[in-house]
This record gives sequence, C-alpha cells and structure tokens, in this order.
Amino acid sequence: MLENVIAGLQATLTAGNLAALMFGTLVGIIVGILPGIGPMVGMVVLLPFTFALHPDIALSLLLGVFCGGYFGGGIPAILMRTPGVPSSLITTFDGFPLTQKGEAQTALSAALLGSFGGGIVSVFILVFLAPLLSHVAASFGPPEYFAAGLFGVVLVVMANRQQLSRGLLLLGLGLWFSTVGIDGATLCPRFWFGTLSLQNGLDLVPVCLGLFGIGQTLVLVERKILQADGMNLTGRTLDFSKLLVAMRYWKTLIRSGVIGTFIGLLPGTGSILASFMSYEAAKRASPRPDDFGRGTPEGCLAAEAGNNAVPAGAMIPLLTLGIPGEALSAVLLGVFTINGIYPGPLLLIKEPVLINTLYFSMFLINIAAFFMLALWLRPFAMIVKVPHTILAVTIMVVSLVGIYAVNTRIFDAVLAVVMGVLGYILLRLGWPIVNLVMGVVLGEILENRLRQSLSLGDGNPSIFLTRPISLGLIIASALLIVIPLLVDRRRARASAT
Amino acid sequence: MAIPEQSASRVHDLFAAFLGAAAAAVLISTPWQVDTSGPDPFYKGPLIFPLLVLALMILASLPAVWRLLNPPANASWHLDGAGLPVKTGVVLAFLVAYLFGLLLVGLEFSSWAFLLVALFYLGHRSPLKLILIPLIVTGLVVLIFKHVLGVFFPTPLVLDWFLE
Repeated sequence: MLENVIAGLQATLTAGNLAALMFGTLVGIIVGILPGIGPMVGMVVLLPFTFALHPDIALSLLLGVFCGGYFGGGIPAILMRTPGVPSSLITTFDGFPLTQKGEAQTALSAALLGSFGGGIVSVFILVFLAPLLSHVAASFGPPEYFAAGLFGVVLVVMANRQQLSRGLLLLGLGLWFSTVGIDGATLCPRFWFGTLSLQNGLDLVPVCLGLFGIGQTLVLVERKILQADGMNLTGRTLDFSKLLVAMRYWKTLIRSGVIGTFIGLLPGTGSILASFMSYEAAKRASPRPDDFGRGTPEGCLAAEAGNNAVPAGAMIPLLTLGIPGEALSAVLLGVFTINGIYPGPLLLIKEPVLINTLYFSMFLINIAAFFMLALWLRPFAMIVKVPHTILAVTIMVVSLVGIYAVNTRIFDAVLAVVMGVLGYILLRLGWPIVNLVMGVVLGEILENRLRQSLSLGDGNPSIFLTRPISLGLIIASALLIVIPLLVDRRRARASAT
Repeated sequence: MAIPEQSASRVHDLFAAFLGAAAAAVLISTPWQVDTSGPDPFYKGPLIFPLLVLALMILASLPAVWRLLNPPANASWHLDGAGLPVKTGVVLAFLVAYLFGLLLVGLEFSSWAFLLVALFYLGHRSPLKLILIPLIVTGLVVLIFKHVLGVFFPTPLVLDWFLE
C-alpha cells in the first residue's frame, strides 16, 4: 500500500510528468479563458499528442487541461461578464458587480481561492470514495455493468429532458456509430458500406475532435463571441492581501467543494448545476443572503469551488465503473483504453501506481493552476484579445494534422471533418451534443454487456430482473425517467391554471 | 441551455426527421450490412444491438415527423436569425481543399496556403498578420509533428509526378 503511494509520488514528480501537467494546465487556463473554446476543445486538440506518451503522463496532460479550463473560465466572467466556460455563468452574478465597484481583485481572489479549494476538497473525496465504490463494483457481473451503463445513459438523457426526443435521437446515433466496423465478438464487419476504411470502425478520437474541435471552430468563424474592449484589471498579478478576505468563507469553500464533487459524480449533471447548487447553498447559509447577486466575494468563491470540484467527482464513476460521467471524462476513458487499460473495479488493484500518480497529479494541477493565474493574471486576461478567426483557423490546422498523426490515415482526418460538420449543425441547433459522444463511448460497453448478459440467461432478458443490484439500478433508471416527467407535467398544469 | 422542443424552429423537426429516415433506411438494409451467417443465436450475434439502437432512433424521431406533418399554429422556419452559414461553408470548402492539399502538395505548402487564404477571406488584411501567422503556425506544426513526433507524411503527389 505505502510503496504504491511512494511509487505514485515518485512518478508524479518525474520531469516528464511535471512538464506535462504544467503544460496541460497552461493550455487549460488559456482555452478556459477564451469563451467559445473551452477545455473540451483543448483536450481533443491535445489528444493526438498523447499517443506517444506513457499513460500517466498523457493523463496528467489532459487532466491539466480539464482542471485548468475551469480555473480559467472565471477570469472573463469576472472581468467582462462573459463566462469562459458555461459553468462560470454563475460567477458573473457577483464577479462582475464587484469589478464594476472597482473590486476586481477581491472577486478574482475569491474565485481563484474557490477554484483551488474546491479542487483540493474534491481530490480528497476522490481518494477516499473511489476505493469504497470500487469494492462494491467488484461484485458486478455483465448484467450489473449493463444496468449501471443504462443508469448513466438515462441520467445524461434526462439532464436534457426539455429536448428528450432529440437527446434520445443523438444517443441512438452515437450508439449506432459504435457498431460501425468489425464486431469484436464475432469478427463480422458491420455497416462498412463497401468502404474498407470503415471496417476499422469510427474511432473515438476523430469523432470527438470533429464534433467539438472542428465543429466549435466552424461556429467561431461566423460569430464574434466576445467584446474584450471593456476589460478592467488593475495590477499584473493577483493582490494576495485580498485572499485573506476570501479565506473568511472557508466553510462555504468546503461545502461547495463537497456539493460539486457529488454532482460531478452523477453522469450528465454537468458543472453548471454544480456551480449553481453551490451558489444557492452558500446563499441560503449566509447571514446576508441579499448581498448575493450584488457583488459578494462569497458568491464567486462558492460558484468556482462548485464547478472546479466537478473534474475529480467525474473521475469516480470513470475509475471505479469504467463509465464516464460526461464528454470530458469520456476523452480520458479514450486515453485509458488506447493504452490497454480498462477502468473498472479492478483498476485500483491492477494499476495502483497509476492511480496514485493520478491523485497526486490532480493535487499538483490545482496548485499549479492557482499560482500560474495568480502570478500571470494580466497576461492571461489579455488572451481574450486574440482575434477569434485566427484561433479558429489555427485550431483547424492543428486538429487535422493531429488526427492524421494518430494512425497516419487521411481517412481519420476526413472523418473528423464530416463529424465537424455534424458538430456545427448540432451546436447551431443547440441540441445536446454530449448525448452523441456518450453514445459513442458507452456503445461498446453496453453492447458487450448486453450480449454477455443474454448469453448468461440463455437469451432470456429477465436475467436483469433476477439480480438485486441490476434490478435496483433498473428501477432507479425507471424512476429517473418517470418522476421528472410527472413533475414537469404537474408544473405545466399548475402554470396553465 | 435546453430548448423546449415544441417552441423551436421547424428546422429542428426537419433535421430530426432526416435522422429518423436515415435510421429507417439503415434498419431496412441491416440484413445486407451485417453478416449473420455465424453459428451464434440471435441474442449473442452482431445484429441485436444495432437493431435496438436504430429502433430507438426511429421512435425518437416520430414526434418530430408528427410536428413536421402537422405544424403547430406558430410554427416557422426561422432558426436563430444568423442567416445562412456562407462564411462557414466557404471555410469548410477551404478545409476540404486542405485535406486534398496534404496529399497533393504536402504538409508545409498546404498548411501555409490554407492559413493564408482563410485568414484573408475572414477579413485580415495586415500583411504582417497574413505573412507571419501562417509561417509561425506552419513552422510549429512541421516542427512538432514531423521532427519531434516523427510522424510520417506521404511524399506530395506533385513531387512524385515531377520526379517521374
């Protein structure tokens, strides 16, 4: 046990790992600060570079982007009322009013301390909760895994229940994408339409890179997302004396970190909900709730702690069940599987050094992101002035060359462009694109577990109802569908009368 | 942010119906697209899962098909007021040309040309930007992918023809 922890710490402190996590954090902060780009684009653009790397270094690089993105997103939210990442919308409620009062440094201190504290609290919860959940998951067979996957899918679909049929349509499309190519169990080619390249299937990397990287840049080409002219920031670095003001709210910080982690743990719920719930909880607990929305550092701190706790929370189902909670952790699952590592209950036993490296790296990423932003606050804030069209075309070139580099196949680059067009359409229509990615990622897991379960039951689907855990998960999935729909219907009736 | 399904543009319904129709076409052609001659029973075979997900897609598209055939009174084709994506379409065409360019004239020239043409089209007129940005980005891409990562890029076809 202790030797694994020490080995993990040593692996974390190697020059390669430190360089990867610092670079990833730097990229994450930059893409987080740039509205319309976000950590997902940063991660998918860097994904092709990870193939030549050792898995722990690759994970540190991408986790740096994941966490750094949430750190960076708060900066334009406070300075320009433009959230860098969607969840930083809640930070604007108090951050921008503080900036208008000339207290941008107070708001930034609170946001940075919140991001840092939320991240650290969530890593602690991850370290203690992952082994417990892994212990429970060790008794899972194919029916339980299928039911857990189904539960995850239902959560994702119901998170966007205002677009229920569209979400289901995209989920189905993603699941179908996962069936293209040679079937692993029978070696039968499926849906290859006479194109040899399709026999290899639709690889997750070009699909993600196309949907998020190319798709988002095509949106950037036509829309000016940001007006950076009114940015107002005094000082090159963070005013560290203002941190003392923010430290008064340490209870809010811990509470928000816990809320964010547990919301991040649930698939499909997303960081906006984490940020919002943390903010609301802080408001309810505050002796001066009326200050919220008018410019209180506590509001910035709660919102940022909530959203920055999501990455570690999302790692819990990924590491213990092999089920990613959202698109960003789906990309991390891709890094695991490409390296022949399959997350699940045995991962913590089989790869203890890798897991410990991951924990230590997440701690260091939070520290690195905090100090990078604190020391280079003004240069980072200035990044928003880079013209969006230059960013868009540069990302296109790096994405396409990167995707070709993974397998040196031009087909992958063509696939990324096709997925980019689909991504653009879905972004323009405002459909829940995350459902499509979840379908692609979970398709193989769901199909394999379904077929294995049916084999165990000699083709009888009642096997899912005869095992307590799988039955419990299926009932929970059914309740997740029925209860929100009934509540919505009741609300609609109440508002009609 | 979620968009309530009933209040949105008919473009949503058209796209959903298109996806549903495509799923139906694939479902019908599935027996020819999937080899089911193996000894496994249906529940172990390669067909069961695709059939389920295609059926899910068709079912999910039915509300949109219904609304498309019976449009509500306030239905319109207005999407978001951003107009036709002409600029995006042109940049996409440049991107497709860039893919052909990678094979035809190689990484260096095609990357530089794509960046130059795309930036010019997107309104950048400063000679410094138009020369420096494509050169810096292309230089970094070539340095990282070709020299640091050692990725193989095929010999440009133009060079092949020239050498022949």
